[in-house]
Amino acid sequence: MSLLEVSALSKHFGGVIALKNVDVQMRAGETLGMIGPNGSGKTTFVNIVSGQLRADSGGMRFDGHDTLGRQPHELARLGLTRSYQAVRVFAGLSVQKNIDTACLLLAGEGLARAQLQELTEWLRLDLALDKSAGGLTLFEQRRLELLMRLAQRPKLIMLDEPVGGLAVTEVREMILLLQQLKARCSIFVIEHTMRVIRELADRVVVLMAGEKIADGPPAEILRDQRVIEHYLGTVHA
Amino acid sequence: MNPRHLNARNMGIALAILALALPFVLEGNRFLAFVFGMVMINVLWASGMNLLYGYVGLMPLMFAGIAGIAAYAMIYLTRSFGWSFWLAMPAASFGAALIGVLLGLPSLRLKGFYFTLCSLVIQTVLTLAFIFFPHFTNGDTGLNQIAPPEWFNGAPLAGLWFDLVLAIFAVAGAAFCAWLVPTRLGQRFIAIREDDVLAAVLGINVVRNKIIAFFLVSLYAAVGGCFYATYVGFISPRAFDVLTSLNIWLFVAFGGRGTIIGPIIGAVILAPIPFLLQELQAFKDVLSGVLIIVVTLVLPGGIYGELLRRRALRRAAAQPQTGTTAAPRT
Amino acid sequence: MSDATLLILASTVSTGLILGAIFALVAAGVTIVYGCVWLPNASNGQFFLLAALAAWSLTGAGWGSALAIIAVLALGIVLSLLLEWVLIRRLYDVANRNVAYFVVTLGLTQIMSGIFSLTYGRWSDQFTLPPLVAGITMIGPFPLPNNRIAVLVIAFGVLAALFALLRYHRYGRALRAVFQNREAAALRGVDVRAIYKLSFLLGSSIIFLGGLLFALAYSFDLTVAWTMSVTAFAIMIVGGPGSVVGALAVGLVFGFTQAIVSIFASPTAATFSYLAAMLAILLFKPTGLFSK
Repeated sequence: MSLLEVSALSKHFGGVIALKNVDVQMRAGETLGMIGPNGSGKTTFVNIVSGQLRADSGGMRFDGHDTLGRQPHELARLGLTRSYQAVRVFAGLSVQKNIDTACLLLAGEGLARAQLQELTEWLRLDLALDKSAGGLTLFEQRRLELLMRLAQRPKLIMLDEPVGGLAVTEVREMILLLQQLKARCSIFVIEHTMRVIRELADRVVVLMAGEKIADGPPAEILRDQRVIEHYLGTVHA
Repeated sequence: MNPRHLNARNMGIALAILALALPFVLEGNRFLAFVFGMVMINVLWASGMNLLYGYVGLMPLMFAGIAGIAAYAMIYLTRSFGWSFWLAMPAASFGAALIGVLLGLPSLRLKGFYFTLCSLVIQTVLTLAFIFFPHFTNGDTGLNQIAPPEWFNGAPLAGLWFDLVLAIFAVAGAAFCAWLVPTRLGQRFIAIREDDVLAAVLGINVVRNKIIAFFLVSLYAAVGGCFYATYVGFISPRAFDVLTSLNIWLFVAFGGRGTIIGPIIGAVILAPIPFLLQELQAFKDVLSGVLIIVVTLVLPGGIYGELLRRRALRRAAAQPQTGTTAAPRT
Repeated sequence: MSDATLLILASTVSTGLILGAIFALVAAGVTIVYGCVWLPNASNGQFFLLAALAAWSLTGAGWGSALAIIAVLALGIVLSLLLEWVLIRRLYDVANRNVAYFVVTLGLTQIMSGIFSLTYGRWSDQFTLPPLVAGITMIGPFPLPNNRIAVLVIAFGVLAALFALLRYHRYGRALRAVFQNREAAALRGVDVRAIYKLSFLLGSSIIFLGGLLFALAYSFDLTVAWTMSVTAFAIMIVGGPGSVVGALAVGLVFGFTQAIVSIFASPTAATFSYLAAMLAILLFKPTGLFSK
């Protein structure tokens, strides 16, 4: 069953073309990766799909609903959420308050207390509840971001460079967490290194200068001539 | 129970009792009783301004303009249609609050400085409208001999009982804020204040919540405006101009934005000053200006905010770092 | 055409040009400081007035016009340095400092207007300076007071100098670099704090000069402070924050608007229209008409 269908998405800023006729499909339960060098349009793509930016043209369907042009809060209600490249939490509030705010969306229909407790322990934040979110380490903040999204029982989480800025051991752990995350909801991962994508994604979309140049399983992508030519040659895979 | 919460609530109850008792205590001294009444009106206003400034994070400088609209509308209803104050005040306040939302709507997308500037411009336009449309407002000359509200038996509300009514409204206003903040609506306001983009991603309809906030804040401004008009007995466009909005903002900022007690403290300390400096009106402007600068540069959390911050620092220094497995809170 | 009509026409055109130039100067000063330091100076009108009042005091005390002008300009520079040192530099590193600055300058406005009410406000309702140059010149069929011509020449001279400074001088390039991207400019070796200080000085001095020129050409009262502040902000917003070209163009337009409106309506009507224009731009095109 198709969870996300993006067709012919285009966007330009002034004279610069950020996205050109990009098509992406994603099934429920699948983990999709999006990869491309800096400036290839990945973050623009996420911003448009998550409702923060208006596309110039194209269409989008999420979970059977026509969603192009909808506001971020409406998409959250439908089960589509995202994380940020530069992690974003309520730095001035405590960790507990951050979680409480995330729980506002579903109110009574949200996670049971026990389920929330389980998630908090799984993400190793149960001892940090009274700390100020701004005072957490980067890794802790990224985990808090995940916790806040999961509290909303999303169908799809778009992760924008989830391991950016993390130390090597932290990257290892984050990949493990994300692999376990797959059981709870569908994931769309954006990265600019193949390594993370290879370990997580069932399928990979390659973006280059705003255009999709390849779409397939990681193994296939790694052998694709165009991808090797334009992209892998310049990046540590 | 968190000891800090215990303290704020006790403080609030103590202040409420004080407010309700003072009218009886000050009955003999008309001057002090009048200052008390004005402080009550300003406490109500400060609580309202704090809702938007302290909890949503926007600085609405057209606050006084809304108060003026309500005041003029109430007078019009009572004078031209013979309505009772207790009918005219709610009607005028509701109407003014709607206007407040309408005027605030276009600026919803603006943030920070642009929102403040837009609000300032709207306030200036309102003041000019008050001056140049004398049909309702009698222009710069103002309206005088405004009748006070009536008591049950038709007699005018005066002296001790008027002060008591004002105190009741001030306490109710602050209590409503205290009730609102921990609710889901209050939490949404705070989320918007902290990071409105993140709030939207988390499913909060920022525009709708801002509109609700505008409505509530305008209601506070309006009710205060109606009481101001009847208590003082005289109004002019000068009473509802930018300086008034700025002063109320100062009560909130000086006392402590984003807390319930802060604006009350700010109003209690600062509002009496112009009355105690009767002959030296212009000094009041200079003093306000100095306080505005001092508060912005040195005391961003206000007096009460500074107090809370120091208490938290002392507590953190005293306790060893221990982990606690906290049970999920409601 | 009758003599009266010629007089009115000449007066309107010259007022339009003078006001336009003065508005442009003050707005340029405000927009430079906002664009560079992120400081929206709500007290610009009070400094405008201060320059005018200082000139009135000095000429009233017997000083010659030329000496008074120099003294007032020196005063402006000293005050700007003082203000920067005591107040302005404290917020250079604060995020979202534009709101904080706006509030601080609102406080400053209150302080200054309070002081003026207590002092100058008690001494006189209206203030008039002796003319720089006496006499009338006929330009074709139009009679123009020499004083106005002098002010006009000075005003446009300063505008031209400002333009040249920003376009050709090294400072101008540094300023534009900071406008566009603070961090990049710092990386390229631009001393950002020094530029902030210089910009504040330049902007404030221009505003001061504007007040001086206004006093030389017209009689004024204490309300010009408020009017000038509103007008300057309106021009800055409509022209586009940070855009000096915008400030110049819109300033001239507003100047002429004021001159023409004043013929058949109260000057407040013109101010009303500036407010309306500012509101419209804020709501529909916040980057302004001349944004880069």
